[in-house]
Order: sequence, then structure tokens, then C-alpha cells
Amino acid sequence: MKTITLAIAWIWIAVPLGWGVYQSVQKSMPLFHGPSQPAAVSRPTP
Amino acid sequence: MNFLSREATVAPPGFNRWLVPPAAISVHMCIGEVYGFSVFNVPLTQAGAGWTIPQVGWVYSIALFMLGMSAAAFGKWVERSGPRKTMVASCVCFCGGLLISALGVKLQMLWLLYLGYGVIGGIGLGLGYISPVSTLIKWFPDRPGMATGMAIMGFGGGALIGAPLGVKLMDHFHSATSLGVAEAFVAIACLYAVSMLFGAFLVRVPTADWKPDGWEPSQHVKPMMTNASVAVDVAWKTPQFWCLWVVLCMNVSAGIGILGQASKMCSDMFGVSAAVGGGFAGLLSLFNMGGRFVWSSVSDYTGRKTVYSIYFLLGAVLYCAVPWTQNIQNKTLFVAVTAVIITMYGGGFATIPAYLRDLFGAYQVGAIHGRLITAWSVAALLGPSLVNYISTARIEAGVPKAEAYNSTMFLMAGLLMIGLVANLLVRPVDPKHHVAETPRA
Repeated sequence: MKTITLAIAWIWIAVPLGWGVYQSVQKSMPLFHGPSQPAAVSRPTP
Repeated sequence: MNFLSREATVAPPGFNRWLVPPAAISVHMCIGEVYGFSVFNVPLTQAGAGWTIPQVGWVYSIALFMLGMSAAAFGKWVERSGPRKTMVASCVCFCGGLLISALGVKLQMLWLLYLGYGVIGGIGLGLGYISPVSTLIKWFPDRPGMATGMAIMGFGGGALIGAPLGVKLMDHFHSATSLGVAEAFVAIACLYAVSMLFGAFLVRVPTADWKPDGWEPSQHVKPMMTNASVAVDVAWKTPQFWCLWVVLCMNVSAGIGILGQASKMCSDMFGVSAAVGGGFAGLLSLFNMGGRFVWSSVSDYTGRKTVYSIYFLLGAVLYCAVPWTQNIQNKTLFVAVTAVIITMYGGGFATIPAYLRDLFGAYQVGAIHGRLITAWSVAALLGPSLVNYISTARIEAGVPKAEAYNSTMFLMAGLLMIGLVANLLVRPVDPKHHVAETPRA
């Protein structure tokens, strides 16, 4: 009974946290795909 | 005996202490929703009442301000009342605040949002944030950093859940006559009330003489660690308290400056789209959460002073490296550097309760932590203001957007050096401040 309570308690928090992590990873994927436009950078003139 | 009283929550013999961290996390991951509140900003401006983004932005600012103030004001009550009553009070305030805000959206009264989510919800945030701290430290005297780190990790995780949940609920309730904001507030209040009450039901405090099997306090005292106790009203007058106040304020100011501007900064420095910048901000939240658990657990082995010195020294080096990653246009390196910085930002939050426990004992550590959180309120104003002000001034002075953040990064490194000095000044508390005989908290 104690083990079941312990398992339920941890699953209770692991499921929403896992869902949040999944959403975050999915949203961040475009960061590592596709080329980005080079940002405007000032270079020292010779 | 009242079900909510401290006496009713005393654990029976054989209680498994590993039930307490999920109780704490189930509260923290709900109140951490405040970090994801920004997803409501734009829909609120479109709700038909003519509200502007700055007006709506005040809801978040008031909530964070009230978090710090209520944690400081109610700390002693939290210690006296125990974690269950505090968690229920936090639930009533936070979820009640959401319901009042839903009414404010329906009636198009902005002051109801300020009162609901800002003031009342903010009090719920403060109560919920400190509610499990001293309980966890008493259950895990052998690993206080890891224990409090888990709870505070839940707060970081709250943003990962709150933001996408808010968006999905607004999409679900969106109709021809409503943007779904009020309905989303009501749904979140109901869902989060269940989770927070689950935590309140589950939490237990140990008996006064409880200790882990085979663990003897006297065998685990380190130079910067005490087994004596200091009362909150004495603790906050000691130099150690104010050194830690500066430590927390500097660490948070530097981290929040990046976290709050992450999306825009990534777009400006690397020319990526707003969507990709948003993904970068989400990724940082993930590292913010992970850092809370990892670094605070590490501090149990290295000691708190060492781990904070690492945050400040390594952090300063990495802040100075950010302009270089932009200069060589290496996006992956930029992401890696900022990710490590943000783990240490989260780690700073999560390690502070254990640092307080080391210096002041477990007696009123929750209340002392509550007063220290005022440093967070100050940092929440200082960090973003510095980044905004300096980057805007640089752009106006003709510096390309991509380079506008360079001076800010060096300034953040400077803030970390101030934090390092404060950390190095921390010494054990003078025994004259110790409580003669540790009372039951």
C-alpha cells in the first residue's frame, strides 16, 4: 500500500512535468534546424 | 484537533519521507504558472476593453512583488501553522485570485486583475513558495540541498506547464464571442486547486526527534554548518543574512536579465525569427528547471559557499563569452553558454534554503527564507531594467542590434563579482545569536 501511494505521488507530478518538458523541447527544435539570417555585425574597417 | 493543524500532520511511525518531495512539487509546479503568465498578455489586450501591454504587464509585476512581500510577512505564521494549513491557504489565494481575474476579464475591469492575480494570487505565491521549505529540510537533514532543490525545481517546471497549458486552454475555449481567457483562468484555477490540495493532503512533518536511519547530526557538522538555531527576528539582523541577501540579489539580477530578454536577444544577435527566439526562451526554462535540482544536490557534497563561488566565477566568465559567440556567429555555442548560465541562475534559487539552514539551523529556516526572498523582488526590477535600458541606449547610439547586448553582458559579470565578494564574506553566525535550547518549530 505504501509503495502504491509513493508511486501515485511521483506519477502525479511526473506526468505534467514530463508534458511540460516535451512541449518545451518540441518548441525549441527550430533553433537547431535551418539556417539563420546573419545578424548585422559591425566589423573594424581595415 | 483540526485536520489542517501542524499536530494533525505529524507523520506516523514508518512514514516514507520520499512522499514529501512530490507533495512540495505538486504545489510549486502550480504556483510556478506565474512565469508563464505572459501568454495571456496579448489576448488580454484584445479582450475589447482597450487594455495595453504595459497595463497588463503590471499584473505579473504586482504578483511577483506580492510574492516577496507575503513570504517575508507571513514566514513566522507559516512556521507556526505548519505546511498543510499554509498550502491550503496558498491554494485558496492563488486559485481564488485566478477566479477573481476571470471575473475581471468578463466585466472588463482591469483593477480586478490587479487585485485577483496580482495581490491575492501573489500572496498565494509567497505562501506556497515557502510552505514546504522547512519541512523538507527537517525530513532530509542529510541532503537538504537536494530536498529543497526538488521543490524549487517544481517552481521552475511550472513555467513549462503553465505557458503551453494556457495557450491550449485559450484555443479550446475560443469562440465567436470570447477569446477564451476568462474560461482558461477558471479551468486553470480548478485544475491547480486539485493539485495543490493533493500536496496539502500528502504532506507530513516529522516528529521532533526524528532522524534518518544511521544518521547522526554531530558526525556531519562541517565548518560552515551549525546544529544550533537562530530565530528569524535575530537572523535578519546578522551580517550573514545580508551577505546572503546580496548573493541572491546579484545572482538573480544577472540571470533574470537574460531570461526575461531571451527571445528578443536571440533574434537580435543571430537574426532568427521570433518563433525560433521563443523556442530558445523555452529551452532556457528547461535548463533553469534542471539547474535547480542538479546544482542544489551538488552543494550537499561541495558545501554551499563553494557552489556559489562556482556560480559567480564560472558565470562571470560565461557572461563575458556571450559577445564572443555572437562575434563568431556560433549559435550552438551561444545556446550552450547561456544554458549553463541559466542552470546557475536556477541553482542560486534552489541552494539558498540549504545555505540558510547551514548558517541559522532548521528552527525557523522557512521564515528566514521568506525574508530573504525580498532580494528576488528587488532583482526582478533591477535585472530586466538594466538589460532593457542599456541595450536600448546602445541601439539609439547607433550600435548594431547584434552588438547592443555586449556591454550588458559585461555588466552582468560585474554584478556576479559583487555577489562573489558577498559570498566570500559569509562566516558562521556568532554563537551569541543562537537560541539557548532549540524549541519545536
